[in-house]
Amino acid sequence: MRKKENKLSMTLHKIKEERTTYLMLLPNLIMFVVFTIYPIAWALSFMFYEYKGFGEKKWIGIDNFIRIFTRDHDFWDSVIHTLEYVGLKLIYTLPLALLLAVLLQKSCRRNSVAQSVIFMPTIMSQAVMALIFYLIFNTYNGSANQYLQSLGIINQPINWLGVNLAMVTVIIVAVWGGIGNYMIYFIAGLTGIGEEIYESARVDGAGDIRIFFSITLPMLAPVLKMILMLALVISFMDYQSIMVLTGGGPLGATNVMFLYVYQLFFPISPGSRAPQEFGYGAAVSLVCAAIVGIFVGIYLILARRLDNLTE
Amino acid sequence: MTISRRKIVFGVIKWFLVGAVCLFTIYPVIYALIGSLKTNAELTLGGSFFPKEAQWQNYEYAFSQLNFGRYTLNSFTLAILTVILTLITSSMAGYAIGRRNFPGKGLLSSLYLFSMFVSVGSVALYPLYVLLSDLKLTDSLMGIALVLTGGQASNIFLISGFVKGVPKELDEAAHIDGAGIFRIYWQIILPLIRPIIGVVALFAFRLAWNEFVTSQVFTMQNRDLQPLSVAVANLRYSANAAAEWHIMAAGASIALIPMLLIYAVANRQFIGGITAGAVKG
Repeated sequence: MRKKENKLSMTLHKIKEERTTYLMLLPNLIMFVVFTIYPIAWALSFMFYEYKGFGEKKWIGIDNFIRIFTRDHDFWDSVIHTLEYVGLKLIYTLPLALLLAVLLQKSCRRNSVAQSVIFMPTIMSQAVMALIFYLIFNTYNGSANQYLQSLGIINQPINWLGVNLAMVTVIIVAVWGGIGNYMIYFIAGLTGIGEEIYESARVDGAGDIRIFFSITLPMLAPVLKMILMLALVISFMDYQSIMVLTGGGPLGATNVMFLYVYQLFFPISPGSRAPQEFGYGAAVSLVCAAIVGIFVGIYLILARRLDNLTE
Repeated sequence: MTISRRKIVFGVIKWFLVGAVCLFTIYPVIYALIGSLKTNAELTLGGSFFPKEAQWQNYEYAFSQLNFGRYTLNSFTLAILTVILTLITSSMAGYAIGRRNFPGKGLLSSLYLFSMFVSVGSVALYPLYVLLSDLKLTDSLMGIALVLTGGQASNIFLISGFVKGVPKELDEAAHIDGAGIFRIYWQIILPLIRPIIGVVALFAFRLAWNEFVTSQVFTMQNRDLQPLSVAVANLRYSANAAAEWHIMAAGASIALIPMLLIYAVANRQFIGGITAGAVKG
């Protein structure tokens, strides 16, 4: 009992002593509460209501969730498109980024220039570049088709932004924006591997490819796991450039789930109108967050399994 | 002999591949920059890579007819506001978490960390918009700057990680000399962590300059507050978009050039910055 009291008074004393620290944390903490916690709380409090932006909000219990799971096929289509988008983006971006990282890892002038060029998309506005890609991939006037035709690779102009290929085009733009970033992450991981290990492997007569698979990759595994998780979370949340490039169309072919949510709240282009279903939007967004959580969870379990296998 | 030949072959393959990726990365940017100096016909019909004659009036048109002077000013104002707010809030918080020991520290750090992986996405914008317009903060760029500053837990970790690297003896000595917690931050820590402060400033500038969705939502009712990213993306929906590719390219270039100039000077900071916080932890 005595001990507990002591501990409490010590804590109080410590709090008093550190009051300046708390004051210094306060501005950020206020921002954090208002801009991160409050929206989540808002979504949680509105998920059981029907509210269309005017009039009273109406309590409808779990109806919003029933609608999501039984009637809203567009939403589940958007989930499938999200998985397609995330899967394809990562499959193309990560191996390419790793290959570039291995090639450009050594620090010398040429490599560092190449690194800077490949990293450049990371500093540019996704929305602005999406507009540029929209021009490049235009069927008749876009330069992509013009080049492909003048090189004789295709006879007919390709409809890059049509139902069949829009997702491919979205992926090309996503890979364009992503390789540089992950290349740099991989390089950071690679520089953590000591030079001596490579030396001794080489002395033992291992070739470059052998070294990559039996030294580089296993040594990189912990970093690789983190990068994969980061890439997974980030890709699930992508929708800015898709919004400008295709607006989720045509016919919803590139509508990813966070873009679907956006459209329940706001119009996608200045002229159009949003259906404004705030209560339903809140419910959908929470389901989206849960879906991301489930996939990250699955990934973490798989990653651990893999660890146990290799050990 | 064979070893050096293998080296040459390897070099050729490597630079062929790297060159192809560089071309792929740089092409859209070149397309925008060169396209901004072409006539609409030159841009849409293809043919020559360079314009016959540089059409500087495309820029003139964007500035005089499409209000791009205003949008550029908005972008700079928004970016600078965001940088200032971010630096103040995250450097103090980063110092507190990186250096001080206080009850509740563990809880707070894990809360920040957790928030980096949870997102309800675009929904957040609606309650925030309603809240900030009730507070009359949507009449100026301050509202957007606050939202963009708000959710950056990653900056705190970037700074606290760097603060941990400053030798503790320095602030202990200052403490013995009678300096308080804030004074140690202001006079000892802050000057020593300038490199990471620079990185955080660059990141905040980039975020505010490039952000589209938040700025779009907050300026829907007030077009005069639009930053460049929003104004440019919406050119796609302008009345005669089909006839104005050269203007779209000029608008895009106005939005891209300042960032490209900053990148030309600070590319090492950008590249070093993303790995300082992320992979170490």
